[in-house]
Amino acid sequence: MTRVTTAPARSTDPVVSASGLTRRFGDRVAVADLDLAITAGHAFGLLGPNGAGKTTTVRLLNGLLPPTSGSVTLFGEPLTPASADRLRARVGVQTDTNLYESLSVSENLRTWGRLYGLRGAALDRRIDDVLDLLRLTDRTRSLVGELSKGMRQKLSVGRAILHDPALLYLDEPTAGLDPEAAVELLDHVREMMRTSGTTVVICTHQLYGLETLCDDVGIIAGGRMAVSGPVAALIAQRWPQPELTIDVVSEGERAAAVVAGETGTTPERTGGRLRLTLPAGAQPRVVVAALVRAGVDVAAVVPTQRTVQDLYFATIDAGQAREDATEVAR
Amino acid sequence: MIDRDRVRTVMRKDWVEVVRSPQSLAALLVVPAVFVVALPTVVLLLARQPGFVESADDVRPLLDVIPAGLLPEGLDEVQQLVYVVVVFLLAPFFLLIPVMVASVTASSSVVGEKERRTIEGLLYTPLTDRELVLAKILGSVLPAVAITWLSFLVYTVLVNVLGWPLLGRLYFPTWTWAVIMLLVVPAIAFLGTSLVVAVSGRATTVQGAQGVAVLVVLPVVGLVVGQAAGVALLDVPVALVAAGAIVVLDVVLFRFAVGRFQRERVLTQL
Repeated sequence: MTRVTTAPARSTDPVVSASGLTRRFGDRVAVADLDLAITAGHAFGLLGPNGAGKTTTVRLLNGLLPPTSGSVTLFGEPLTPASADRLRARVGVQTDTNLYESLSVSENLRTWGRLYGLRGAALDRRIDDVLDLLRLTDRTRSLVGELSKGMRQKLSVGRAILHDPALLYLDEPTAGLDPEAAVELLDHVREMMRTSGTTVVICTHQLYGLETLCDDVGIIAGGRMAVSGPVAALIAQRWPQPELTIDVVSEGERAAAVVAGETGTTPERTGGRLRLTLPAGAQPRVVVAALVRAGVDVAAVVPTQRTVQDLYFATIDAGQAREDATEVAR
Repeated sequence: MIDRDRVRTVMRKDWVEVVRSPQSLAALLVVPAVFVVALPTVVLLLARQPGFVESADDVRPLLDVIPAGLLPEGLDEVQQLVYVVVVFLLAPFFLLIPVMVASVTASSSVVGEKERRTIEGLLYTPLTDRELVLAKILGSVLPAVAITWLSFLVYTVLVNVLGWPLLGRLYFPTWTWAVIMLLVVPAIAFLGTSLVVAVSGRATTVQGAQGVAVLVVLPVVGLVVGQAAGVALLDVPVALVAAGAIVVLDVVLFRFAVGRFQRERVLTQL
């Protein structure tokens, strides 16, 4: 596994950590030798394809499933059958589990609030706040069975944040939400992190823009954590050299030759667009200067910004390639 | 330590779900309605017809085996037959009602939550296994006892009103049935529910979980048959001993149900 560590921005105390966490179901290994540490106040993106082991990991990290081997620490305490129920009082979990359809919106929230110890006026106030935040105030008395999919999704998030948890797990929180609601929801998560220091673990396939929310990501495949660490550091490690996209007005072939001669790297060429990774020590301005000297009309030079999405696909593809190679070797 | 408020919260949620489900309500109310209203009404109306004594040939042998102390004195044959049917043949069904009602609600509240994919949400809360199991049991036992007591009240009024022209007195409930209602019914409802909850963690269908209630229903049916045959007649001492024995079984079975409840199985056998 690739693990990159940098100095955390807020606190060094992990809210949740796992060491050598392994879970088998019969012969099938759902989670294998997983190590992670999620720092207080950080947002951690737990990413991976369907069946990669994300749900099992979340269940293990909450003590719903006992590990086959390894250990979990939650809020600085070992997670054991004796401590799990107490520690879960500070955790909020939004998953794809259903709400109670024959109960109203407020009855669902009231049930959850009471289970987390909220009472009386404090509970009423908190329900009002959450419904207002999720723009569900006008549906307070509606039965959940009468709500749209998006509204149910909002309510399941509301259920998880109602008691203002110190650690919040979100499983595809924006699935089924309209873009406006998705943006509002993620803005609120950021607000919780900023004002309450909430630690967030988010499992999602919605990778676009994830780097604006997550401080750290872990990419899990086949039950194994392939990479984990701060987003920027992982991207810098995966793509250490700057990448450029150069658009030329014409003479794409000649431009490619000039770039190759200057950098020793043959760029990918699509018409008048060249893509290349600069070798160590090469500077973009030097490449552009060489093109200008050669009389190539340069229209644009854009440094490539790698994203979590790029990191995800590169990691999954590399893992798949390794698996294929292992298969062939056998 | 058990957090009573969390237990009450789950119980209240379960009750609201049952009350708002027409199917569940029908399942809960049909059986008591048949036992409490239909059967005694038919019997007591028939008893007013000429030829009732001849048509009750199957019941008459019971008059010979009932100890003298269990039948009021001064009753003629028709009155004795009515008394036997109301007190010894129909009333034992009140032991079936709590078991049947509780098993319907308990299986629905545990396996039903698995089927509806709502139970994982509960498992992520601070609810302990003990609290969850207790909530699921009490959430079924209390309505079952309430329905049974209400049915008993209706039955009491009905058999006294319809029986007044025949017996000319209030003759039900007897002390035995008062003891049974107060002590045996709650205990036996708890027993049946605990059994259903104990297997519900592993059952994948509501019907599968309800099936185990047969283990409690069968002895009760045996008691009904025993009453009819005159070989297991209930009186106050027997009812008190039975209540004590069932309470002991309740404690054992509750511990068993808590020990058998495994979040892992509930999650992986959804």
